[in-house]
Amino acid sequence: MKIISGNEAVALAVKLARVGVVGIYPITPQTTIIEELAEMKAKGEISTDVVRVESEHSAMGVTLGAAVSGVRAFTATSSQGLLYMHEMVWWAAGSRAPIVMVVATRAVGAPWNIWNENTDFMSERDSGWIMAFASSPQEALDLTLQAFRISEDPRVFVPMMVGMDGFILSHTKTNVYIPSQEDVDTFLPPRRQPYVIDPETQESMGNIFQPVHYMKLRQSINEAIVGAKDVISEVGREYEKVNPLADYKTLNVEYKLDDAEYAVVTMGAWSLDAMEAVDRLRERGVPVGLYRVRYIRPWAEEEIERALGDKKGVIVFDRATSLGRGGPLYLEMRASLNNPVKGVIAGLGGVSMNKKDFMDAISRSLEEIRRGDIKDVTWYYPGEVKEVELGTPRSAI
Amino acid sequence: MAMRMVGMALGKNVAMVVVAGCSSVIQGIGPKNAYGYPVLNIAFAAGPAAASGMWRAFKQRNKDVTVVVWAGDGGTADIGFASLSGAAERNEDFIYLCVDNEAYMNSGGQRSGSTPHGAVTTTTPEGKKENKKELLFIMLDHNIPYAATASVGYPHDLMDKLRRAKEVKGFRYIQILTPDPYGWLFDPSKTAEVGKLAVQTCYWPLIEVVNGKVRISNESLHCLKKETRRPLKDFLSVQGRYKKLSEKDYEELEKFVDDLWERILSMIS
Repeated sequence: MKIISGNEAVALAVKLARVGVVGIYPITPQTTIIEELAEMKAKGEISTDVVRVESEHSAMGVTLGAAVSGVRAFTATSSQGLLYMHEMVWWAAGSRAPIVMVVATRAVGAPWNIWNENTDFMSERDSGWIMAFASSPQEALDLTLQAFRISEDPRVFVPMMVGMDGFILSHTKTNVYIPSQEDVDTFLPPRRQPYVIDPETQESMGNIFQPVHYMKLRQSINEAIVGAKDVISEVGREYEKVNPLADYKTLNVEYKLDDAEYAVVTMGAWSLDAMEAVDRLRERGVPVGLYRVRYIRPWAEEEIERALGDKKGVIVFDRATSLGRGGPLYLEMRASLNNPVKGVIAGLGGVSMNKKDFMDAISRSLEEIRRGDIKDVTWYYPGEVKEVELGTPRSAI
Repeated sequence: MAMRMVGMALGKNVAMVVVAGCSSVIQGIGPKNAYGYPVLNIAFAAGPAAASGMWRAFKQRNKDVTVVVWAGDGGTADIGFASLSGAAERNEDFIYLCVDNEAYMNSGGQRSGSTPHGAVTTTTPEGKKENKKELLFIMLDHNIPYAATASVGYPHDLMDKLRRAKEVKGFRYIQILTPDPYGWLFDPSKTAEVGKLAVQTCYWPLIEVVNGKVRISNESLHCLKKETRRPLKDFLSVQGRYKKLSEKDYEELEKFVDDLWERILSMIS
């Protein structure tokens, strides 16, 4: 055990995975990952080639170029950086290149905001990557290590990104179990990938496909992501040999759901605040439990139906938006469930949500569900900022 | 033509990165290609970054592979410039070939930063108002170990440069003038001839700078003196894209050529 931040935990995972090449570019709050890697390199602790590029677009360009040429490759980014990289994120998925990326989440401008929000990460959910989201520095380390194994599995061969809440996880130090190099070496087989750019094999990648072959390729990525559910559970069980305290048998995580009539759905670090709120509400006799989404892609449809399908109501908290429609988690849950689903958007741009705020938001949502009069999506402002006057640029004139 | 010369000059142990352009199309339908090299096709602005990752991966795998980026002038002067400049500044170990046909020819001939003054393109129907971006000098200002210009009009000069570049370690930049009959508006059978005229009229220099040492090809030596240069109009008049050239535009282009050679002269004196 070691007291480290989420970013330090990720850098350690990259070291333990013996990554060949990393393309790095600074952006808050991810920066300390790449600083840590540069430090390890300077001290001779890693043989990884650390490439200090001039933009996130190039960070993914370097990472992809190295990955298709036969070595394990990694990068990390946040917010504007992920958006600037967007084109290459898609190119990596279309190339079926096993790559691992960590996203320390942050709000997207304008206006400038460096605080936490998950919209940057969630905006990549159509790109063709496997996407997991951590709720603690420990999970950030565990998922990063598992990401190499999952994305390099021949049944998958799809890149994988791991999200974690900016600052709240990236910069907060907690107790983290650091696996031994021997255990990780046993867990992670040598690099496997579908194609290698090499004069000996003369593979060609990315050139024009006929429409029907293009469509078949897209379908194959879709099937690989859906099929990855089994691989993820298998790798999760296998990972218990690396970290005996870990539990990754399922994609998502249930908390006090068995006897609950209502369920709260969350993702990421604030799940722990929400769990405390659930505990307090249960003490008051409110029959509520919690379901934490760990995997956005693949979407664990069957697990979700089993866990939440019989609940009288499901309250989904999103720290992200699809403006004009609602939170992405809420939309996914509505697509998976036939029972009443209530959406709550909260915590954007660094707005803080504590246990009491969750209790308040959950209680208000429960009232709507019990009345049978659900306002689809509520924008929730906690405590003292509850009264917010919304203005438009026009009304300000 | 240029791709054939690259194949002849560089030999077998080569891996190519091809950014968006007609070379992404003419190599044929995936997963094979017609170039006889392994090719990574990649997004427009990502060539130099991908090549940076590739040569490092080959190094980690103890493989002796020459990595070559193939990009057009739009991919070089405009959308890919940040990536190119970054890779040059890091002195990444690959050869970057800019295939300069002076416009976005694959999408039908739109102006790029490398289109010369006065040229008519589909987005400058009245003729371009600005001068061509001086990519050679910009790249030289990155202090790279090798930079050169070549023309498909002089294939031996180009292939000699490719062979010499292959022996240099670090970032190598070669800009190849490749006249485009459909964008420049001349008969396709005259491609090599137009490539020669560009050099003879001193519009396009054939030079090479290896670790700061300048070498001017024999074909361009006459350009060092203004009196021995062939008149620029011999190059311009065979192309339809200069049909709207005014006297003032012509003077502007002549001044561009004068300035170009003055700068080259200052490098060797």
